Amino acid sequence: MEWFAHKWDIIDQLTPFLLQGLWTTFKISIVAIFFGSILGFVLGVLKTLQIYPLEKLINTYLHLLRGSPYLVQLYIVYFVFPSFNISWLNFDSFTAAVVSLSLYTSSYVTEIVASAIFAVPTGQSEASRSVGMTKAQAYRYVILPQALKMTIPPMASVYVIVIKSTAVLSVIGIAELTRQGEVAIMRMPGDIMFIYSLIAIFYFFYCFPVLRFSKWAETRFGSIGIDLK
Amino acid sequence: MGWLQSVFNFRIVSQYWEVFAQGIVNTILISAVCLILSLSLGILVALGRRSSNPLIWRPLAVYIQAIRSTPLLIQIYLIYYGLPALLPFGNFLNETQTGIIALTIHTTPYMGEIIRAGLESVHRGQIEGALSVGMTPRQTMTNVVLPQAIANVVPPLLGQTAVLIKDTSLLSIIAVFELMGAGLRMFSETVIATESYVTTAVCYLAIYAMMLGLSGLVQRKLGGSAWQEN
Repeated sequence: MEWFAHKWDIIDQLTPFLLQGLWTTFKISIVAIFFGSILGFVLGVLKTLQIYPLEKLINTYLHLLRGSPYLVQLYIVYFVFPSFNISWLNFDSFTAAVVSLSLYTSSYVTEIVASAIFAVPTGQSEASRSVGMTKAQAYRYVILPQALKMTIPPMASVYVIVIKSTAVLSVIGIAELTRQGEVAIMRMPGDIMFIYSLIAIFYFFYCFPVLRFSKWAETRFGSIGIDLK
Repeated sequence: MGWLQSVFNFRIVSQYWEVFAQGIVNTILISAVCLILSLSLGILVALGRRSSNPLIWRPLAVYIQAIRSTPLLIQIYLIYYGLPALLPFGNFLNETQTGIIALTIHTTPYMGEIIRAGLESVHRGQIEGALSVGMTPRQTMTNVVLPQAIANVVPPLLGQTAVLIKDTSLLSIIAVFELMGAGLRMFSETVIATESYVTTAVCYLAIYAMMLGLSGLVQRKLGGSAWQEN
């Protein structure tokens, strides 16, 4: 019983502190998914236009971001960019976190948007061209509305990936959930396991509903058969 | 060549080539061990998840969801600090072994879900057809179901393996010496960020390029295009 009271005491003391971290995690993940989606959407649409050098360029960009771990990308944005001696590349840690996470997100979004557009039957674009629409009009009124609906389930999975990636940001000292937990552990070194479990539960309650939504959206809007990790 | 030297100092990188080579070898070894372990456990998870006994599939579903909705970093910390308390011999594991255990626990559910999807992707009509032409259930499995399931499973498994290789970088946080650890060591000794981290990234990209080549090769083999058939 005393054990239980002690643990309850920890929960009681730490919850506001950890919620503060969760709020930072939430902010960073929202900003990153916002900018990442915009960049990814533009690149995804450009990729489907199949202009030769542009397509190669976008594919190289995707391979660079998908082929290296997020930790390395974070270090490069945070430590290597300032050495270019360009003043606006001299990020503080929050900006570096948002920039690197947005770039990382955009690599997933590009692939989702491109495969959703490819998943729209070609008859749709042929039909819209044959009734006299320009290519831009066909995209705007026929293809994109159908494609964007199909991106909803994988986008929810990407959001979960972004949330989970924010845990890595603790290494550059962003006060997000993991970092707050580490600080709490410095104060209460006897309860390492308990505090980490508490953090895991916080993450679980944040990510699990989104994963559930993704699964529900897949039955509602259909799957484009893209596999995200 | 002076300008190049000021942008990227190859001379210092060349002094560290042994460290990076060791890092690449360690990354590949850790990934290979984790791949073998998580694949074999993943088959068990996939079979258990398909079981009709709620005592088997419910805990597995909880395990899968718990892993998928928490960050890998937290899982690594939990296992790194928790294993010595949980296992009688936990104190005798070094950080590499702990890291391998953590990564295996993390990767197994993903592998299991891929294998399960592969088994379910074989159409029922295929099995019924095979049985109705007089094949035994065993022949149906080896000649009809497994070839199709394996062909469906290999591309996503290779993708997950690429993710696994990238995930090993997080083990550097618990002081496992692998590729990221090599970059961190070079940075802590020379304090030049560009060369340390860009070299690390290039090494990861080299491993990734190897994986891409391999997956192209495997897909050509499994795809069995017309001119390859004989």
